[in-house]
Amino acid sequence: MADPRDPKHAENDITVLPDGLHVTAVGEETLLKALGRAGLRYRVGCKRGGCGVCKLHLLAGEIRYERPIAESVLSDDERVEGICLSCRAVPLTNVVVELQEGDRLRRVLGFLTTPSKGKP
Amino acid sequence: MSKVIRLGYVHLRVTDLEESRNHYSNTLGMEVVASEPGKLYLKCWDEWDHHSLVLEEGGVGLVKLGYKVESPEAVTEFEQRAQRFGVTTGRFSAGENLTVGEGVRITLPSEHNIELYTEMEYAGTETGAINPEAWPRNVRGVGTHWIDHALMPCEDPGLNERFLSEVLDFKTAERVVTSMEEPEVIGTWMSCGESPHDIAFIKGPNGKLHHFAYHLEDWSSILKAGDIFAMDDVPIDIGPTRHGITRGTTIYFFDPAGNRNEVFAGLGYRVQHDFPTINWTVDHLAKGIFYHARELNDAFTSVFT
Repeated sequence: MADPRDPKHAENDITVLPDGLHVTAVGEETLLKALGRAGLRYRVGCKRGGCGVCKLHLLAGEIRYERPIAESVLSDDERVEGICLSCRAVPLTNVVVELQEGDRLRRVLGFLTTPSKGKP
Repeated sequence: MSKVIRLGYVHLRVTDLEESRNHYSNTLGMEVVASEPGKLYLKCWDEWDHHSLVLEEGGVGLVKLGYKVESPEAVTEFEQRAQRFGVTTGRFSAGENLTVGEGVRITLPSEHNIELYTEMEYAGTETGAINPEAWPRNVRGVGTHWIDHALMPCEDPGLNERFLSEVLDFKTAERVVTSMEEPEVIGTWMSCGESPHDIAFIKGPNGKLHHFAYHLEDWSSILKAGDIFAMDDVPIDIGPTRHGITRGTTIYFFDPAGNRNEVFAGLGYRVQHDFPTINWTVDHLAKGIFYHARELNDAFTSVFT
């Protein structure tokens, strides 16, 4: 049996506001990877932690970063405000994130089962 | 033609040195020629000076660019002209940069630092200078030939264009202007030799990097590079496609720290002394940048390191 406490087998729910869609992050995948796997796209840049374009507001839950993040990309003030860098952030618990103002989720894999709305 | 010879080195910050070593060495095919704690020095197989890339661990973005100049007299003249222009200059001594001789550091109006130097230890190309083969058999990955140019964002591309032209004798090959009637410069592609660009600027924040580019042989090498990026899971920004500006074929992609790289092929034309500068009006900017799609992606004007 896989140990559910092992990060490799973790399953954490991601709620994405403002739409309120749910997707599941599996194992050690980042927020960006989990949303992408669910066929969802939003505003992203280099996908490598360098530009800061994919920042999200972390409203609830905990994340860790899989790589060091440059201060020039994500400042301490932003971290305190709950801004996270979605291409490098791996959820440690269920999380609630909000897209940047003016950004919306776009479905690029419409034929996939659509991510659920409401409580998981 | 300028007494500046070429873009000689790019000094870059990366968040993780080992990941970057893998990207620049195994995916792109550069050779690690020297290392220090927290720093790597690399060169492409077709380059003859000691190195063309310095990777420094910690942060992202550009530390500085080095441009090789014909003679110490030319460096001194550039220094004096830069001072008259009113920018900050400083001298650096031999050895301050590994294997690089003394030179002059200039802070451009756009806050980018460039270093002018005349000497770097000679290493020779991989194929040598006597009866060389066409390419080395042991070339890895993309097999980039040389670092070709860099493009930086800046608040006032027109001012940088004037600086590069008046101080360093660069020639404007192409530019993007608001309109032909009231030409405010939005972007400028400038040449020190006959290549369509050795340095370029577009409107954006000062001091940052948009991309630096590697020369490849041709369009089929660009396609093969794209295949290798797929195999190595390198995020592609755009391409393979063609630029209207410079007519180069291209892929924009990102290194493991998020710094944008480009592979670039095709010298569409030669910038001879009497080459008439090409102007693009801003309503045709998208076609100038991405000739086929004719629309800019979000990243082009928002992703800088």
